[in-house]
Amino acid sequence: MALLELKNVSKFFGSLAALKDINLEINQGELVGLVGPNGSGKTTLFNVISGFYHPSEGEIFYDGKRIAGLRPDQIASRGLIRTFQSNVLFKDATALENVIRGCYLRTKANSWQAFFGTRGYRKEEKEIVQRAEEMLDFFGLSEVRDVLADELPHGHQRSLGLAVAVAANPKLLLIDEPVSGMSEEESTVAVDHIRELANRITVILVEHHVKTVVAVCPRVIVLNFGHTLADGKPEEVMSQKNVIEAYLGTEEVVK
Amino acid sequence: MQTLQIRYRLKTSIPLLLVIIFACCVPLFTGNQALTLIIPALLWGVACMGLTLIARAGQVSMGQAGFMAIGAYSATLLALRVDVPFGLNILLGGIISGIVAFLIGRAVLRLGGMYFAIVTLAFGEVVRVIAINARNITNGVYGLTVPQPQISIGGYVIAFAVTKAAYYYLSLGLVIIAALIFWRLDVSRLGRVVRSISSTPELSQHLGIHVMKYRLIAFTVACTLTGVAGGVYCHFLAFMGPTVFVLSHSILILIMSAVGGLGSAVAGPILGAMILSPLGDYLRTVLVGARPLIFGGLVVIVMFFLPGGLVTIVDRIRSGGRRGTGARNAGLKNAVRNLVSK
Repeated sequence: MALLELKNVSKFFGSLAALKDINLEINQGELVGLVGPNGSGKTTLFNVISGFYHPSEGEIFYDGKRIAGLRPDQIASRGLIRTFQSNVLFKDATALENVIRGCYLRTKANSWQAFFGTRGYRKEEKEIVQRAEEMLDFFGLSEVRDVLADELPHGHQRSLGLAVAVAANPKLLLIDEPVSGMSEEESTVAVDHIRELANRITVILVEHHVKTVVAVCPRVIVLNFGHTLADGKPEEVMSQKNVIEAYLGTEEVVK
Repeated sequence: MQTLQIRYRLKTSIPLLLVIIFACCVPLFTGNQALTLIIPALLWGVACMGLTLIARAGQVSMGQAGFMAIGAYSATLLALRVDVPFGLNILLGGIISGIVAFLIGRAVLRLGGMYFAIVTLAFGEVVRVIAINARNITNGVYGLTVPQPQISIGGYVIAFAVTKAAYYYLSLGLVIIAALIFWRLDVSRLGRVVRSISSTPELSQHLGIHVMKYRLIAFTVACTLTGVAGGVYCHFLAFMGPTVFVLSHSILILIMSAVGGLGSAVAGPILGAMILSPLGDYLRTVLVGARPLIFGGLVVIVMFFLPGGLVTIVDRIRSGGRRGTGARNAGLKNAVRNLVSK
């Protein structure tokens, strides 16, 4: 049974079809790249899957259950977590505090236990801080743990966004352009982290830089104008005529 | 690590304990007139703590006076018509206020910042208009005389009507209990969730936080305690009418909270209320007409130079004169941003 299944999913904004008849299946453990020109609907697809938008048509199944129409927090609590294309963070909190807030889904103590400060709750809080520090360490952000997210350089903010998302204990992680605006060095490091993450969880990776996606992902889906153009191994997909046509500057793609 | 924690606890607990001991001794050296200024300040402090919690959850309420009125009317009517004993009637008044908040909140907390502010403003006015028109129940504009309790402990009778000190201790007790509740909410995971919602609700949602649920919890708790404060206040006045809690009081609560510091859950609101309320009352008796000028001018100056509120001065004293990170300013920034966002 596929972990994520989209059946004839469409999303209309007025008369604009941002997504049209999307059909795809993602199995557990896969690392899938999602590419397409600007405006092809990649982020809209993430928004629809994560519950930020409701699909205009079609069904979405996660873990066998229908999730279209659920609230984003309900979908997130089932292990479906996404990151954002822009730096969406808790700007007035430190990096550590950001990741701690990301650990919300790992907490089991209820509101009453939190209010009265029971022993189980306090133990959980200690574990969360520890977990958050480990997370920062993994992404190479330990040095900036006490810096306000607003004041971090762009590359660190991108990594922090990813760290916060991973803190939420995802089973399926939708990563939206993690290395945009990063230097060559930062990109390589970030991609390594993602590769390591993909060993443990299922990942869908949106990335503009086609070379990166082709090198990292065993499977690539191409979107254009809200349709799926192709779905398969990167070498095959990238040499398809309609995919090449969709991208301007085709020489780079063919390489 | 343990010793650092113990040292921090002592550093904050000892001054706090001294403040509380001092507060308990106040009636011994101040006259009734001073207490008449201090008691309302304490009660506004509770309302301000409530508003600050609601603001920290991402919404600005312009109707807190309405909830004080609901608490006050409920307490008064329970005592007058149903013979509910003193204390219990105030508590029940607060609970009724909380129930109304819960019912309204479910519908209204979804609304964008500006719309929520307008609806709560309207709510406060609706309460006032109902109070004026439900003559059979509330005696309309003529109001209700609130029965004064007489508590006998052993053979010793405490006549509330005569000694303001009794009301002072009652209000102080309420402030301490409310402060404990609001403080505990703030330092626990609940406070962290509330701050997440106020800061970036979209991200909070995608991390599994049910925004409406926590906004509703904050709103209900805040309005319950605000209702209790209203109940105590009307007993202190010995009168309850439609003019006791009006729109200008809702605005005053907002101003006192902002001046005290919206970035602080307890110290800020209490500080704002304890300074501005007696000041406002005093100015009214001394300089007729100059009060709006001085009061308003003071508020503008404080907000301009200290957007984090007066509590930032306390921060600086405690950290030995060092400037803070400006984290306290986030309270006001977020509140304004939430107010003007959709």
